[in-house]
Amino acid sequence: MQNLTDHKKTEIKNRLVEIFGPQNVTDKEPDLYTYSYDATECEPHMPDFVALPETVDQVVAVVKLANDMEVPLIPYISGNNVGGLTIPVRGGIILDFSKRMNKILHVHESSMYAILEPGVTFGQLKKCLDDHHPSLRYSYPFAPPFSGAVGNALLSGMNNMSSAHGSMGDWINGIEVVLHDGTVARIGSCFLGKEFRTDNWHTRYPMPDLLGLFVNWQGMTGIVTKCAVQLWPRRPIEKAYVSFCYGFENTAELMRELGRAEIADDVLVVSVEVAKMLLGIPTPIKIPEEPDFAMLIQLSALTQKHLEAKYEIMQCILAKVNQKHGNKIFLTEFDAGASIVGESFRFAYDLPAVVTPLVEYSGLTWYGSYAPPEHLGVLLEKGTAIFHKYNFPPFVYSKIMKSGHYSLFRPIIRYKKDSEEERARSALEEFFALGVEYGCLPYKTPAWMCNRLKEFIDPNWLEFFKKVKGFMDPKGIFNPGRWGI
Amino acid sequence: MVELADISGLSQPSQEALKLVLDRCIRCNTCKYAYKEFTPTCPSGETFKFESYWASGRIRLARGLLTQRLKWTADMLDPIFACTACGACGDSCQAPHQDQIVDIIESLREFAVKSVGAPAKQARLVPPVAEHFNPYGAPHSDNAEIRAKYHLKPTASVVYFIGCTSNYRQQQLRDATLSVLQKLGVDFTVVDERCCGSPLIRTGQLDLVPGLMRYNADAIAATGAKTIVTSCSGCYRTMKKDFAKFGVDLGLEVLHSSEFINQKLTPAEIKRLQQKSGKNPAVTTVTYHDPCHLGHHMGVFDAPRELLVKIPGIKLVEMPRNRTSAWCCGAGGGVKIGYPEWAVHIARERVEEAHQTGATTLVSTCPFCKTNLSDANAQAGTDIDVIDLIELLDRAL
Repeated sequence: MQNLTDHKKTEIKNRLVEIFGPQNVTDKEPDLYTYSYDATECEPHMPDFVALPETVDQVVAVVKLANDMEVPLIPYISGNNVGGLTIPVRGGIILDFSKRMNKILHVHESSMYAILEPGVTFGQLKKCLDDHHPSLRYSYPFAPPFSGAVGNALLSGMNNMSSAHGSMGDWINGIEVVLHDGTVARIGSCFLGKEFRTDNWHTRYPMPDLLGLFVNWQGMTGIVTKCAVQLWPRRPIEKAYVSFCYGFENTAELMRELGRAEIADDVLVVSVEVAKMLLGIPTPIKIPEEPDFAMLIQLSALTQKHLEAKYEIMQCILAKVNQKHGNKIFLTEFDAGASIVGESFRFAYDLPAVVTPLVEYSGLTWYGSYAPPEHLGVLLEKGTAIFHKYNFPPFVYSKIMKSGHYSLFRPIIRYKKDSEEERARSALEEFFALGVEYGCLPYKTPAWMCNRLKEFIDPNWLEFFKKVKGFMDPKGIFNPGRWGI
Repeated sequence: MVELADISGLSQPSQEALKLVLDRCIRCNTCKYAYKEFTPTCPSGETFKFESYWASGRIRLARGLLTQRLKWTADMLDPIFACTACGACGDSCQAPHQDQIVDIIESLREFAVKSVGAPAKQARLVPPVAEHFNPYGAPHSDNAEIRAKYHLKPTASVVYFIGCTSNYRQQQLRDATLSVLQKLGVDFTVVDERCCGSPLIRTGQLDLVPGLMRYNADAIAATGAKTIVTSCSGCYRTMKKDFAKFGVDLGLEVLHSSEFINQKLTPAEIKRLQQKSGKNPAVTTVTYHDPCHLGHHMGVFDAPRELLVKIPGIKLVEMPRNRTSAWCCGAGGGVKIGYPEWAVHIARERVEEAHQTGATTLVSTCPFCKTNLSDANAQAGTDIDVIDLIELLDRAL
């Protein structure tokens, strides 16, 4: 960090111990080291302290301390955001929420939301709903179960209902947040009432949407201590289909049309090499006769007729696309598809789950972006070519978002951290350049990429952004270094 | 490329395990709780909470030390040694290195011992093994007394490897096993055995280990046996998995007593034995604790349960965390000697979980589990009996 003197460091530690208790604060090198880097190419940095908050009062106290001492605070849940977002680039205090501030405070059955503390994981939420609220469901990304549900929402991550409902940032009904001076503010309909209650977190509108001051800010404007996320009714019938796609533009068109038809919870494609990875082939290479992509289409329905109607619409769309581009896309039921590409493909039906190819090595990074649907075809094609250029097996992951209003374009690189990181970084640079060319907006954006992005964005936006940041965080304590400021 | 630390002085298995950390583990955190169950399974992480106390954190420490980004300090020892090495992390992990996580942790311990020495408490294991061939420092027994008492010949088709904890501490288990084997008419014997090496391997203190293994292998080979049966889960794992890693080929089938007896004991045999003994035990509700060295490490989950329900009068109820999601008893990995209070704290959680099932008896298949669960039971005053499966069986037959 900014060269803390020993005296200052001792004072900070003493105050941290007062706030959290000695067993919940560490400044030991082995402990700090484990928080200093993540799976990505982002440069490691050591924190000065790690603390384990449990209560809002503790968070208020540590924010006041950080302001007094001008020491950075870095919110941390599980550290697997694939953007280096919890690496303390200027040192400071990591607040690890996943260990003690991880309770599901309330599930509101009739208004369909859950109020979560910041450390709640997808796995926890899934178990809670399955065990106690089986009529409701949340949705899950292709991420390990021990990933932060609140963090993913605040960073506008996507999930397996995003084709219908958009990114998780849209699913937040409200938050409780600790501001730089220690004020605890409730945002959304939960602002009703002088005290915290569980029954009024049903919407973030129509009041001015102050949530925008916190969503996608990567922890730069305050520390969120509660978050209400929308849940959805669990439909009695769920059925998935797989299609194998030859070609790029036709694949993109099918995704767009399925999105616009609003029949699917999720429509995603992955490079066919991913299917080979799932089969355990160590260096998967597509042979010319094989399709370029596997597409997963997840439907849910209230009745069998409802499902049949959706299926009929899906078939009509497919026929139209195939008529236009030649018969290059083949649809099959998920079970039949899984029997072709391997049983391990079934993880997609049982999220949250580990996607085994993603955990094969010591490094993992991506260019995660939200892309204009019109350019999806060219992105798929050129993205695949970049993988070949840098000799990584293609791992393009893409989906249509929110009925086709936007799309996800996410090339993923799995690599060996100590020997392949430079190559991975070079490939990412090229994915970034491709994304900029076609209007993609990176999300969970690493600091180095934000710095590059600044070259391409409206300077007035940046100026405004800095002003807001200065207002929200005058002493620069909240996760400094993000977005290049 | 980074310059790696010199680990050529470590055992070959440790060198191989440590090198894995360079290219494995993105810290996806799946090791932190039972996969798909989403329940806590890591005693170390759940207690100490910082990332360095979970499997993925230890892999990071190993990587930091191997790449010399981290230097050895005294602070390094607790994250490395405050772990029961229960292997629940390996059952949860879905990555290719899942079966090597415990190996990595144990290798890291050897690396620590060779670099800065073992922690003082764990170091106390070595002298008694060197002098008395058991970690308790009890006068060595060559088991001649047992052979005489049970009329055991020098050669037999089965060797019962008693293990130090059963021979010097939990002797009821030893005696029950001897009794059951005799009741079943098994052609078995015991040998002048030495510590299998498990406590030393688990704490990274390997100097004596190859000698202990070779001695035991030779003693067993001299009996002409085809099968080794042990009632200790720690010995079982060591003989079945670790001996080969250290280049000692037993060339024999190794079975846990629950596996062996489960194979032998038919309902007709039970009836015959009960008629002979006149025993007719009352109905007892029991729950079963999976010893980590039998379950998480070796995947033996069914045999003990099958044997349990064969015992007349036994009603088995499961704890919520069972099989691959089982919670550790707290004794393993050198924790009982290194962190005795914490070991019992872990066991208290398990005893309470057992009590919540409504069972009156907590059954396990490892003398070390029995010791620690009994300690916790006594400390907490929980109204539950702690007993080994073979003792329960012996009482019923």
